[in-house]
Amino acid sequence: MLKTIVFFITLLMAFPVYALDGTALLKQVDRNLNPESYEMYRKLINVEPDGKKKEFTLFSVKKGADKVAALFLAPASEKGRSTLRLGDNMWLYIPNVGKPIRITSLQSVVGGVFNNADILNLDYAVEYDVARVEEGGKEYILHLKAKNKNVAYDQLKMWVDKGKKLPMKTECLTEANMLIKTLYFKDHKDFGGGIVRPAVIETDSPLYKGYKSVMIYAKIKKRSFKDEVFTLTYMPNLESLR
Amino acid sequence: MKRIAILFLILLLSFPAAVLAEESYTFDVAETEKKPYHFGGYVELRPVLNVLDKDAALYQLQYYRDPRSTLMEWNGRFQLEGSYEKGIGSVFVKTNTDLRYSSFANGNERTAIFDGYGTLKPSPSWKFEVGKKTLKWGKGYAWNPVNFIDRPKDPYDPDLPIEGYIMATMDYIRSFDGPLKTFSFTPVIIPVYDHINDDFGVNNRVNAAGKVYLLLYDTDLDFIFAADGSRTARMGMDFSRNITTSFEIHGELAYIRDYQQQFLDANGTLQSRTQNVVNSLIGIRHLTTFDLTTILEYYHNGSGFSVVDMNNYYSYIRQGYNRYNSTGNSQMLNVAQNLATGGYGRLSPMEDYLQLRLSQKEPFDILYFTPAVTVMFNLDDQSYNITPELLYTGITNLELRFRAGFIRGSRDTEFGEKANDYRFEFRAGYYF
Repeated sequence: MLKTIVFFITLLMAFPVYALDGTALLKQVDRNLNPESYEMYRKLINVEPDGKKKEFTLFSVKKGADKVAALFLAPASEKGRSTLRLGDNMWLYIPNVGKPIRITSLQSVVGGVFNNADILNLDYAVEYDVARVEEGGKEYILHLKAKNKNVAYDQLKMWVDKGKKLPMKTECLTEANMLIKTLYFKDHKDFGGGIVRPAVIETDSPLYKGYKSVMIYAKIKKRSFKDEVFTLTYMPNLESLR
Repeated sequence: MKRIAILFLILLLSFPAAVLAEESYTFDVAETEKKPYHFGGYVELRPVLNVLDKDAALYQLQYYRDPRSTLMEWNGRFQLEGSYEKGIGSVFVKTNTDLRYSSFANGNERTAIFDGYGTLKPSPSWKFEVGKKTLKWGKGYAWNPVNFIDRPKDPYDPDLPIEGYIMATMDYIRSFDGPLKTFSFTPVIIPVYDHINDDFGVNNRVNAAGKVYLLLYDTDLDFIFAADGSRTARMGMDFSRNITTSFEIHGELAYIRDYQQQFLDANGTLQSRTQNVVNSLIGIRHLTTFDLTTILEYYHNGSGFSVVDMNNYYSYIRQGYNRYNSTGNSQMLNVAQNLATGGYGRLSPMEDYLQLRLSQKEPFDILYFTPAVTVMFNLDDQSYNITPELLYTGITNLELRFRAGFIRGSRDTEFGEKANDYRFEFRAGYYF
């Protein structure tokens, strides 16, 4: 009888802790990937099946939970373009066109496998709830469910390194469990300021057979910004933040 | 021996793929270092073949001295831009040179400074700019009725850069928590004197305009005004909002006081009318899961010409053409050409238009390839222009575009009276 009571008490105590652990783990993954507010430089490479590549260099800034902006530095054809995300709202500014136009998370301003949601990504915990956590030998598997319909992927299945609390692989799925793309997190690097994270994210997609896109991180630095930086009116001026 | 040779051949062929699979990616930090200056540019070659409609009024107006059934044009564009930044100040200059050659007009060249301004940014909330620049107000893709200041854009190629006006402007930005996330105010001063913005409107005036922008309940809202000056007073508003992540709706509404318009009456006499007009636009942008983007816009041009006005104009051209053929007197055609530059020759001269644009990103897994089709429909006279296009941007900094234009309409309609029936255009543009 005592054994049964102890078992039930343990189960009752373990259940909420386990549920909490998933959310806390996801938040820890977010913080290990980036500071909450930062500046960073990235290179995006789209690789075609024949090996042909196209590269883009971006300067990105983020503040808090829902403000991200990115400025294209190269190639020359894209230089000066900028993108802004405020929560679910996204805009693209093209110097020739002048006015920022609204874009959607599933579009891609660079072509290839990465879409706008991948480029202007918020913290995972902002957009996803932890539905379930599985524990493997060296990893946790987080099953994430989008908090609302505006999120680019309805579900994520994220393999998280147990020791480093960093993602190793993430599958992006539709509501009907169809695989849209897989992100592979590689090459852990010390960026300074206590930021140790994967320096390369590769992605492939069954929707783009044979194609691959790669995101390489060069500098990530904690930095604070005024809210006014993350506005449509400021989009043409992002270069002045560098 | 033959088998070994084949094996080696297979190994050799597969070698680059194997190397690629093992390739590690590098990103040199030096690539991100900021220089205080920047130079860049764009060069373009754009041959165009026009297949002409000899019965059309605008053909008769343009080619009455030099009849032909086709016209080949060779167009070139060369743009240079440079900037320098120091502390809170920066300067930016962009020049544009257009070159054109055809057997009809021979060669001509025009060079202009499109942008040339200095900027002071003492903080993220404040920006001051003086010089030549564009404002690009409005949310519409093809038309912007609330863009009271800039030169009109080409609804058939809305992304083309346009020449600015000399002005002084300022941005003040505030961000908030809550339903109102952003407020910004942009006042503008535009002087019009001899050699300064003298094509803007009435000379010897200093014009004031302004825009208030709000991001309110996830909706972009602009309230815009331009005070009475070189042009009559006008005010307007626009909005843009995502209904869902892949469905956007936008609109513009403009009110222009005392708009003066010259037109030809049924007797071919030039008349003038002054009226308050409303121009408006409503549009959607939609993206499917398979990357088909649809843009649909309805444009009401209250300052445009009616079907009767246009018929009078076409009739006047025909009379002038017949007179020229019988007497050699081109006076009426000269008047008609002047009227074309005064309004009848605008890119959207009539009152009601619908534009539908469908573009499919990267079909059949062909990266950077975007086929599209644009239909411009004149709702007043049911004439239309269909423009299919193929765009390829797979080579870094090179943009290749092929377009065809099928221009259709019965007599006395806008597209039926255009000088050409078909138009084929290839554009190769390189950024550096």
